[in-house]
Amino acid sequence: MTDRRRLFVGGAAAAAAGAALVTPTAASARPLEDVLRSQELRVGVNPTLPPRALFNERNQIDGFEPELAAAIAQKLGVRLALQAVGSPDRIPMVASGRIDFVMGAMSRTSERAKIIDYTVPVHSENYGILSVAGRGLTTLEALNRPEVTLAQVRGTTAIPYIARVIPRAQVLLLDNYPDRNRAIAQGRAQASFDGVDAVRFALRPFNQVQWDVTAVPEFGVTYSGLGVAKNNHSLRNWLNIALYELHNDGTIERLWEKWFDGPMLTKVPHSPFF
Amino acid sequence: MSYSLIYSQVTGHIPYLLAGAWLTLQLAAISFVVGWVIGLFNATILSYGPRGARWFVQGYVTFFINTPLLVQVFFIFFVLPEAGILLSPYAAVAIGMSLNAGAYLTEIQRAGFASLRRAEIDAATAMGFSLPQMVWYVIVPHIAKALYPPLANQFIIQVMTTSIAAIFAVEELTGRAYNVNSLTFRSLEVFSITAVIYIALTLVCSLALALIGRWLFRVQAKVI
Repeated sequence: MTDRRRLFVGGAAAAAAGAALVTPTAASARPLEDVLRSQELRVGVNPTLPPRALFNERNQIDGFEPELAAAIAQKLGVRLALQAVGSPDRIPMVASGRIDFVMGAMSRTSERAKIIDYTVPVHSENYGILSVAGRGLTTLEALNRPEVTLAQVRGTTAIPYIARVIPRAQVLLLDNYPDRNRAIAQGRAQASFDGVDAVRFALRPFNQVQWDVTAVPEFGVTYSGLGVAKNNHSLRNWLNIALYELHNDGTIERLWEKWFDGPMLTKVPHSPFF
Repeated sequence: MSYSLIYSQVTGHIPYLLAGAWLTLQLAAISFVVGWVIGLFNATILSYGPRGARWFVQGYVTFFINTPLLVQVFFIFFVLPEAGILLSPYAAVAIGMSLNAGAYLTEIQRAGFASLRRAEIDAATAMGFSLPQMVWYVIVPHIAKALYPPLANQFIIQVMTTSIAAIFAVEELTGRAYNVNSLTFRSLEVFSITAVIYIALTLVCSLALALIGRWLFRVQAKVI
């Protein structure tokens, strides 16, 4: 084979491999009856978002969401299979049916709802400013200065809001919340504007630092649901009913208090109508 | 799969991704050049230096080749501030990548030095070449031909390696891909476009390196 022909064949093979990567395959999201038939509920959780999900001292996935997923699986009468997911793979995992739904602070936004269907809310997300105490960084106006650097976690809901409302502040995008907190504690950034629900848990390793946590109600409250593949109505409808029951009997609030060291800052109004 | 590919929701972000690709290229170039200088210096010591200096360089190479780059940059980014050294994210990543590349480039250039044949030096000496003439007409062409392909490969590796910078707040191509993905949830579209940009970047770099090699050192690297 000549060099040019070999190059052509190699290029064609690479193109075919690339096409296979980006072309949807026959796999698809599983409707409720398939989940029941398989006797297994596959749930994606993100263990880099403690205490929503984390690896415990036995290196097993644990946390608020795994326990809630276990309660949902119990209601369904099937065993639970947890799958660790990250930001880039969580949606393809749901769409391809590798997992039946995804948890992990799935804040509902109209943009995201074009790609994925959400159940009714599981929990609220409340926002505020985290800073080292005594620096006066407790208002959005105080943050909106070029000498202020905000440490944020890449891909979180607060980022577009910061770009719109606090445009003069510098933004340092890090990979996870422990790195975000460490960056502020070390002086690499002065503050963060983000969800404050998990701060009591997240700041435990930094107890030598005096922190200010200031709620910012102007941002409003966002709600996280379970992310289900688009048009998987049978599963989503069942999950809505299960979540209503789990809200109603206090399971969700009890698990929240257990993992977040306190009650949900904004109660989720649950309704029997979906 | 109940997922429809809709690229139109992502294509508006392509200029933003391309700006990240430019940063990727800068980071790769800086770390490669600094790493090359470190490697040249170290390879000279390993080939001709005193024993103590050789041990020191060997220790450096062993440390940086046997620990992951991610751990090295994490140390620079998060551990040095505990000692009062607070570097910007860009500087921390550039230093980490340069030190890491320096270790690999030390070994590459040491091998190049070792490939130099004594007979060529003896022949040049017999023909009355001065030292600068010997370096320019005998040593550099020989070493350049031996070293150019692995050096070019190392540059391509540097381009790929820049993706770890996203973890340390540097908004290069991968970091920006993550940002667009979190905004749109269009993972397949975002990362397939990102992959195409990386392929284009490395193909352009390979082409440029092959042309430079032909022009500067008469290395017969394949252009296409």
